[in-house]
Amino acid sequence: MKIIKKLALGLGVAAAAQMAQAADSGFDLKTVDPEADRIALQNYFKSRFPQAEVSDYVNGIYAVDADSREQWEELEEFPPYEFAVEEGEVLFNTPFANGKGYADCFENGGVGIRQNYPYWSKEEGTVKTLEMEINECREANGEKPLKWAKGDIAKISAYMAWTSRDKEINIEIPADDPRAKAAYLDGKKFFYAKRGQLNLSCANCHVQGSNIRIRADLPSPQLGHTSHFPVFRSKWGELGTLHRRYKGCHKDSRSKPLSHQVEVYRNLEYFQSYMNNGLVINGPGARK
Amino acid sequence: MKKVIAITAALALAPTFAAAESFQEAFEMNRAMHGKNHVFEWNGNKYNTNHEEEVEAAVKATKANALDLIAKAKAKNKEAAEVGFEWKLTGGIIKDAEKAVEAGEYRKALDLAAQAKYHSRMGIQQHAYAQKHWHLSVPQ
Repeated sequence: MKIIKKLALGLGVAAAAQMAQAADSGFDLKTVDPEADRIALQNYFKSRFPQAEVSDYVNGIYAVDADSREQWEELEEFPPYEFAVEEGEVLFNTPFANGKGYADCFENGGVGIRQNYPYWSKEEGTVKTLEMEINECREANGEKPLKWAKGDIAKISAYMAWTSRDKEINIEIPADDPRAKAAYLDGKKFFYAKRGQLNLSCANCHVQGSNIRIRADLPSPQLGHTSHFPVFRSKWGELGTLHRRYKGCHKDSRSKPLSHQVEVYRNLEYFQSYMNNGLVINGPGARK
Repeated sequence: MKKVIAITAALALAPTFAAAESFQEAFEMNRAMHGKNHVFEWNGNKYNTNHEEEVEAAVKATKANALDLIAKAKAKNKEAAEVGFEWKLTGGIIKDAEKAVEAGEYRKALDLAAQAKYHSRMGIQQHAYAQKHWHLSVPQ
């Protein structure tokens, strides 16, 4: 009897402590700890899918569903994005009217840098994405910006990702600028907040609901999201950018999607990409 | 042993009995169970299950009343958009309400405007809920 009482008391105290911690840890600027979030997310998926290697999550649902993986591996024998990467290389190396090119705008001539995006710009006080800087490069050189969702911007981004394949994702949140952490927190909050007529958060499908069928689809795990963008989706029949996918997902919850590259989408990309630190870039990718 | 089980059960169930049913809970339960136009009792008083927008739409079907409710729906939807929680179909429903006015179908316009205003109000409510509870989805 005494043992049962002690056990019940012990369990009660442990549960209360866990609930108290869950209730006040990591949800405001004072307590949010991106590294703890990253480890917690990895542990969550390790426990959900113990057979999957963490490094394999860059392959999305194919890391955890064997049947889907088989189909995808066959698709990858003749990757549908191959021509787009070649076109992206040509576009990247074609000089602007003023004789300069994309290589002049980026570190290391734009080669092998995808893993550092998005990043926090202290000077501008905002998160900068690769696509944003591709268009800024064009405008700085007297060219019109490209449309955000698909086409040339996705091809150029795909080529830049291709040159960065296998490089470890390395997103930094500078400790000396609290605005960076605020942007991360904003992205985290967007990811976990329920929205739209269907009252769904990103997490409902890509954390709790990952690998659980929604009609004929299996939602991918959040871990590894962003590593393979831009992506060739069979549904689109072409390449698309990450923000094109964000808009689609947002719409799937029956929300009115926001505009490409709007601040909260960039913050979402910052949060999601930080979660992938240590994994590698494998863009462009192919998905259903 | 039996004592422990009884105490545990009592502790587990205590919050359920202790928390009185709020009006919101009673309204939502009755609405879900019986749909609109149902009368229910809460704390000794009688209420109906109609949403405030359905009450607003229950006016004479005139052009002026329809336009008035459409304007209210637009304003509410703007509020939802400002907090980033506008729903996907609301804008289209408002346009359909405007088309109904043009076609002289004022009853239809009132009903559509009420639906759009309800969507907008729910979006705003969802935003407020998300501000307080978004962390509940975070794996610990």
